[in-house]
Amino acid sequence: MKFDNALKKKLLKKLKSYMNAEAEQLQQEDEGLSKVLKKLKKKEKHLKALIAAERDEDVREMLEQELNVVHSQRKKGITLLSSLRKKVSK
Amino acid sequence: MKGTLQKVMLPTILVILAYGFWISPDFKEIAAGVAIFLFGMLALEEGFKAFTGGTLEKILKKTTNKLWKSISFGVVSTSIMQSSSLVSVITISFLGAGLIGLSQGIGIIFGANLGTTTGAWLVAGFGLKVKISAYAMPMLVFGVIMIFQKSRHLKGIGYILTGLGFLFLGIHHMKEGFETFKSAIDLAEYAVAGYPGLFLFTLIGIFATVVMQSSHATLVLIITALAAQQISYENALALAIGANVGTTITAILGALSSNELGKRLAGAHLIFNVITGLIAIAFIHQLLVAVDLISSYVGIAEADYTLKLAVFHTLFNLIGIVVMIPFTNHLVRFLERVIKSEPDKYAQPKYLNESALEFGDAALEALRMETARVYGKATDVIAKGLSLDKRKIFSDAKLKQVIAEHARAIDYDIDDVYEHEIKRLCSAILDYTNKLSSADPVIARQISRIRMANQSILIALKDVKHLQKNMQRYIASDNPEISGEYNRLRQRIAKVMRRLEKIRASGETSATSILSLDALKLTLEKNMGLLHERMNELIRDGKVSAEMAISLMNDSNYTYSIIHNLIQINHNYLKSEEGSETEAEHMIALNREEIGTVLADDREIAEKG
Repeated sequence: MKFDNALKKKLLKKLKSYMNAEAEQLQQEDEGLSKVLKKLKKKEKHLKALIAAERDEDVREMLEQELNVVHSQRKKGITLLSSLRKKVSK
Repeated sequence: MKGTLQKVMLPTILVILAYGFWISPDFKEIAAGVAIFLFGMLALEEGFKAFTGGTLEKILKKTTNKLWKSISFGVVSTSIMQSSSLVSVITISFLGAGLIGLSQGIGIIFGANLGTTTGAWLVAGFGLKVKISAYAMPMLVFGVIMIFQKSRHLKGIGYILTGLGFLFLGIHHMKEGFETFKSAIDLAEYAVAGYPGLFLFTLIGIFATVVMQSSHATLVLIITALAAQQISYENALALAIGANVGTTITAILGALSSNELGKRLAGAHLIFNVITGLIAIAFIHQLLVAVDLISSYVGIAEADYTLKLAVFHTLFNLIGIVVMIPFTNHLVRFLERVIKSEPDKYAQPKYLNESALEFGDAALEALRMETARVYGKATDVIAKGLSLDKRKIFSDAKLKQVIAEHARAIDYDIDDVYEHEIKRLCSAILDYTNKLSSADPVIARQISRIRMANQSILIALKDVKHLQKNMQRYIASDNPEISGEYNRLRQRIAKVMRRLEKIRASGETSATSILSLDALKLTLEKNMGLLHERMNELIRDGKVSAEMAISLMNDSNYTYSIIHNLIQINHNYLKSEEGSETEAEHMIALNREEIGTVLADDREIAEKG
């Protein structure tokens, strides 16, 4: 029975993922967190720009409140990511 | 018991009908007429459904968006078609197809009653009668050809033509069947003077119209009998009143095959015509004077009773409309209470099919779509429960203004919708999730989120129900403090609904949508704190009574729960598609304690500032 190279690679990849499912999950979580953190950073910048341009006191207050939430989310995300990376390095 | 009764009922009816057909050919003809008529109604409704979401809907919405427009629509269409019954059944099919609402339908029916009086003018003035029933056969032929076409609109037109054809054919057979009774109606036999005569002739008018299936035919009979002096002028007027009531039978027959909206409209038609008839009987002498005055003003000869009859017919229908217009909303509410929506008709899941159960992803998608559907219905119920209009909540209009425009409480039965629609659909969703239970942790988590989203929908609706009671009492209160507080509660819920809708619809869906909900959670907590502070102040200053304060306290908790559950629904379901990013969003989303910390920081900054 002969295997072509592509099929061999595919089978090996599958075997690897079976053998190392936990590591793969951690990798996925890392990727997910990094992407969301990037988006949050963008959102933070966008909100700051909006606040600078806003003249209505009430709207500005609401935007500032949202900015605080995004800031806390980022802080939480960064903590989660660093503990995840520590776990991986161990 | 009910099931056994149903099992016995149908065979019994079939046997009775079969026996009736065997002993009486006339009965057979009448029953066949009713069956053909009902089939025509179904075809007509099917036809109008093809035009929902399209041009016809737009035209109808534009021409019936105000009561006077609906009435004018009824007047004009009935004058052209020369049949109020036909306009009534078409209106019922509009309703059945969801093209118009009940109050618009009632407006058209009011107008149709006035429009039908043009028939009396034509018959009395020119001896004319527009007879469109002659077109039944061509309509059927053209209709069936069009039904076979591929285009949805051509098919729709085909169904409408076939429906009309069957309606006319059905009426024709009913008339044929009643022929024997018709020959027995000799009006001269019953001449009675005074009020007894008035009531008797009204009843004869009703009976004659039911038999002949046309108020026009009755009017022709009345005019002929009056011209031949077989009946007195007063008796003729009573017959005309009876004809007006009797003509509702066609709409009632038409409503048999329609949904509860059609039945409500037929009910409105009957109530309108009965009340108008009663008014006419009660004020018959005053009306006679008015008819004489109008007749002399427009130049109708003193002895021209046929034209005077036409004046009377128009006048009392006009009075009926003027009297009933202020009660239109009451009439709608009364009919909604009396004729409840069929529980099963709308509570059928749309997306949950058994075949999808074999494919995990497809079943999950079906669950998501069904939950979104229930959520859509729930937001509608919440808006109505708050005496608001969902479309306005989701518009760009200033919410303060929207609230101010809806200062009056709307009587809306949340329990009815909850029991008949939402609860059933949520149960169906939960049943489906049980069938789908999976060993895969990812799928199991998604199923659990969908379950929680549905539970939140049910809780939110229950809370709105509790809130509704006091809210309806206080939003228009003389005490500006309490009405202000309750309007603020409405505004808060509306604001969150609007924000959630924006999160769902905007680009935020792909960028941290779950996290956007955290800002709403923060606002919720902040507003609760502010409300408590303000409430203490109101009680301390004696601006609200103790009873009001207790209501407000309870209702602010309901408001909190509604908003919290609205957020939870969206959190758990609407953006819960599994993926590394969504999972990360769930991980990053702030919990209640963390929200509290942000809030405390916020306060600290504000105090320092």
